[in-house]
Amino acid sequence: MPGASKEERSVKAAQKGLEQNGVPTRQLISHNWLWPSLVRTREIGIAVAGFLLFVLFTIFSHGQFLSLRNWTVIATSAAELGIVSVGVALLMIGGDFDLSVGANFGFSGVIMALMIAHGYPGVLALLACLAIGAGIGLVNGLVTIVFSIPSFITTLGTWLLFTGINLIIQGGETISILKYSNVLHILGGSLYGDFTWGAVWWLFTALIIGILLHRTAFGNWVFAIGGNKMAAREAGVPVTYARIMNFVICGITASLAGAITLGNLQSMQVGYGSTYQLESIAASVVGGCALTGGVGSILGAVIGTVILSMLDSGLLLSGASPYWYEALVGVIVILAVAMHTKIGHFGRGREEV
Amino acid sequence: MSEDNVVLRTEKISKRFGSLVALEDVSLDLRGGEITALIGDNGAGKSTFVKIISGVYRPSEGHIYFEGRKVVLRSAAEARRLGIETVHQDLGLVNSMSIARNFFLGLEVSNGPFLDIRRMESETFRMLSEIGLVNIRNIGQDVSRLSGGERQAISIGRALAFQKRMLILDEPTSALSVKETEKVFEYIRAAKQKGLAIVVVMHNLAQVRAIADRFVVFWHGKKTADTYNKGQSEAELSEAVLYGTPL
Repeated sequence: MPGASKEERSVKAAQKGLEQNGVPTRQLISHNWLWPSLVRTREIGIAVAGFLLFVLFTIFSHGQFLSLRNWTVIATSAAELGIVSVGVALLMIGGDFDLSVGANFGFSGVIMALMIAHGYPGVLALLACLAIGAGIGLVNGLVTIVFSIPSFITTLGTWLLFTGINLIIQGGETISILKYSNVLHILGGSLYGDFTWGAVWWLFTALIIGILLHRTAFGNWVFAIGGNKMAAREAGVPVTYARIMNFVICGITASLAGAITLGNLQSMQVGYGSTYQLESIAASVVGGCALTGGVGSILGAVIGTVILSMLDSGLLLSGASPYWYEALVGVIVILAVAMHTKIGHFGRGREEV
Repeated sequence: MSEDNVVLRTEKISKRFGSLVALEDVSLDLRGGEITALIGDNGAGKSTFVKIISGVYRPSEGHIYFEGRKVVLRSAAEARRLGIETVHQDLGLVNSMSIARNFFLGLEVSNGPFLDIRRMESETFRMLSEIGLVNIRNIGQDVSRLSGGERQAISIGRALAFQKRMLILDEPTSALSVKETEKVFEYIRAAKQKGLAIVVVMHNLAQVRAIADRFVVFWHGKKTADTYNKGQSEAELSEAVLYGTPL
């Protein structure tokens, strides 16, 4: 076997030896190395559910749902929640939560808007915004780990804390940016017609974090920490470092989404993003992330966000009251978790969601 | 390699918890290619001893030599780094992850910044087939789909793959069927063939007789017997465990 490495040769030799003893080995090595098989099953399940929703809305909206314009709106409006959800999914897979993403989004966005309004350069304002996001993430991580508090509680606290600080600073008023800024345009302005840069940033963030989670040693640690923290520690995984990094990354994605919203709307207000903490968890769960950690994927979080966004525009185009949105998100979350649990039972004989 | 193939030597190890003496003056040589069974009733000191040689506890007195060098095991992680692998009853595996990803957890193989999953899978497969675990359908499947015996195989295979010198197995067969126990014994013997010093802690004396090369009996914190397996009966072993009689 010219060109074959030493390991490959020894694997071939081992396979040959086993086959001579009557053991079939053809399927032993899957080479399905992009995703573990179960993750793929989950994603296919939720993609099928999304497709059914797509067909339903297409019928009820007399085809309007199918239009390019509608999908442009979906991609644009989903981008901000999508970016938040990517960070939240990473954190959830590692076994932690962040309820402060909505407050982080508003707080870092308001600071960025204030800086631009006061004449600071856009790039500096953006860097400050992302640094604030990372800082809030770091605080969440340190408090959670140093005091051994469940992250759900820590971030419930920081959610209220930063919403409060934000109200004190800004008093609930809207900050509008009246002059053109290149940085704001590239963050959330129009790329082509109604299609905005936000969707590009969403794709980019998902790709980077997806590679980090699924194709690097760090990602392996995240899955292990979420799946069995003791085992991860015993195996020598730097658990504390990886958890803090997850909080920081999640904080950065939340503030990036805030910056993109500012770019898109040219204005910012404390209350923007205030529904994202629960919607991002909903999107991640719909996409197959287990609340108990250790299970899920970034692709799933993206599909989950698309489904929530489809609901939003689908209801509108079907002529239904948009008030149905929240009720239907609730139903879909429950159905999705039930489906993932069933797939879990089918695939591995135990509950994981 | 040190004299007589001794991998780990303890010299007059004692452990006290307040006024309680859990272990007293235990000197023991653990050799490569040998399966040593630690037997004794609950509270006899064998768990304390295992915790000391795996770095969980530090002895109150006495010394530990690893491959001829005096060492202080400050933590389980330090013992692992030296080459002492402990397989606990809970096995330390992550159910929701694939066999290969578990196998290489904490020691991932990367190609540049990215995981080399192909190589991790082929190496895992090679090591598992070397210890005789041959009927795993797919190396990419989750660990939760495996039987208890197969899970033991992964833990044992992991010790082999990373060139560990010593393998400590805490009750490796307590949750297994008879057939699976036999398979796990095969894996343990394969690890022995590779020259590892193996320590097993087991309650089931019939199983101990089947797997051990050497019996070390603990009784009230002391080592009361240390002898090779010469086919001693279960009754003799049981008497040594209960009354501290020599074997």
